[in-house]
Amino acid sequence: MKPEKLPPRVTEIILDSISNGVFTIDHDWFITSFNRAAEEITGIGREEAVGKHCWDVFRSNMCEKDCALRRTMKLGKDFVDTSTYIVDSEQRRIPVVVCTSLLRDEEGRELGGVEIFRDMSLVEELRRELDGRFQVGELVSRSPSMRKVFNLLPQVADSDSTVLIEGETGTGKEVLARAIHELSPRGEKPFVAVNCGALPDSLLESELFGYKAGAFTNATRDKPGRFAQAEGGTIFLDEIGDTSTAFQVRLLRVLQERTFQPLGATAEVRADVRVLTASNRDLSRMVLEGEFRQDLYYRINVVRLALPPLRERKEDIPLLVEHFINRLNSLRGKSVTGISPETLTILMSYEYPGNIRELENIIEHAFVLCPEGRIAPGCLPESLAGPSKHSSPAGSIDDTLRSVEGQAILEALKRNGYNRLATARELGIHKSTLFRKIKNLGIQIPKIDGRTKGAAGV
Amino acid sequence: MRIAITVWENRVSPLFDSARTALVVELDRDSARERRYEPLGPEIPISRALKLSQLGVRVLICGAISEFFADLIAAQGIQVIPFVTGNVEEVLEAYIKGSLTRDPFRMPGCGKRRRHRFRGGRGGFRGRWSI
Repeated sequence: MKPEKLPPRVTEIILDSISNGVFTIDHDWFITSFNRAAEEITGIGREEAVGKHCWDVFRSNMCEKDCALRRTMKLGKDFVDTSTYIVDSEQRRIPVVVCTSLLRDEEGRELGGVEIFRDMSLVEELRRELDGRFQVGELVSRSPSMRKVFNLLPQVADSDSTVLIEGETGTGKEVLARAIHELSPRGEKPFVAVNCGALPDSLLESELFGYKAGAFTNATRDKPGRFAQAEGGTIFLDEIGDTSTAFQVRLLRVLQERTFQPLGATAEVRADVRVLTASNRDLSRMVLEGEFRQDLYYRINVVRLALPPLRERKEDIPLLVEHFINRLNSLRGKSVTGISPETLTILMSYEYPGNIRELENIIEHAFVLCPEGRIAPGCLPESLAGPSKHSSPAGSIDDTLRSVEGQAILEALKRNGYNRLATARELGIHKSTLFRKIKNLGIQIPKIDGRTKGAAGV
Repeated sequence: MRIAITVWENRVSPLFDSARTALVVELDRDSARERRYEPLGPEIPISRALKLSQLGVRVLICGAISEFFADLIAAQGIQVIPFVTGNVEEVLEAYIKGSLTRDPFRMPGCGKRRRHRFRGGRGGFRGRWSI
């Protein structure tokens, strides 16, 4: 039987029905066709794309130096599965996989090229979610607020710039500084951490810059300072906001000139040292109030990283607990297998004024009382396990837990623009469980549909 | 005032993130007083932002640019004019004349939906973002 004649424009219909983006170009790199999926992936309508240069529409990182289509047109060869990314009009990077071929007519004459591309965003996202955690050195997290810090880390490490790390006490500023050092080209050289807040001015200067024999009474021999010890590597100046303005002037000079003068020395010493700083105080406010020198602030604030307090990233508590248990097991030769759900509930409801360091201390305390098996509520410090500070004076523990749970769900909903599915995914629960909890806990949700584009990030 | 335009052959580079060269132009009133080409170095956001800052650039004209790069550059006090296309000399002239907002210099898909508002020329900026 003779097949039925295909309708006109059949190629266009077929191309529009597939999920891969497809566009064709002529010999002058002008786009001659652009299918529906290409419109969706790039966010550019075909009437705007057709007739434009392909690089102005596709905007990929390979356009300028290693264009797959250019190679195809030059060599007459197909290229399959080239990984690249494009940047859309909202400035988002979209990972794509590209295949390129020559475009020929029925007689085999070359008309130009064809590029087929697949949006890999979902695959990339799933790949990340499969693991769900980020870990660099001792830094471990699955929280979106920390993801920003993790994304920045490689570039920050590579840059050799001065970095200012801000965060409350115990949020892991030194751990982050160490991670930056280890990822940097200076990673093999020394990392020296100094708590500036712990020493008075005169001692801090001799500690940092060293002294010569005879510089003061009892200085019987030369002592190299921390800057000298960190030569070629990194020095981490913690609690920089607690230093005097006189010391800030000296430090500014070191950062500007890259030289320092040990006490009692007559010559300057060159310092090839990267400086990382940290503070648990708001330095910008201190500058406004005249408590911190503005010139030094600008010098150290080349790159600023803010570490969120643990109460704002509670989803990390189970992960951090597991991390500390593993570490303490290997350090102390113990065999604690985990933590009971009741204990975890108590840990999740606490506010952690001392942040991660406090959580670490709590687990260390539990290791003393529970050398094996699962950590039970009784192994926690009394202030946590008993009728505690974190519960409201009038309410029972159940009320407190309900309120904390409600708060956590509401915050997650806000973070996800009230998209229930995304919230359930973030919280690691099924969406129907989330619906039930929203109802049971009486959480009031604004009358917007989180699935609607534009709701997120409000 | 010093401006930079990322260049590829004689055009504005389609994507800042992977652009290799910038044309750095010293503007004096209504003319380009001095110009030179500068390599942009590795494709690392912070090092590119610092490089532009070290060059004393006040305004960056470029093609597409991902948000992360744009934010770091803006943090250096540099104004970013993104999604610009066309011949570099024509773009420079349009910038000097204040007519860079015209269609021929706009990348496809970056018209009405654009988040960036600029009046298209020297001294005409009102801050980088209007979110």
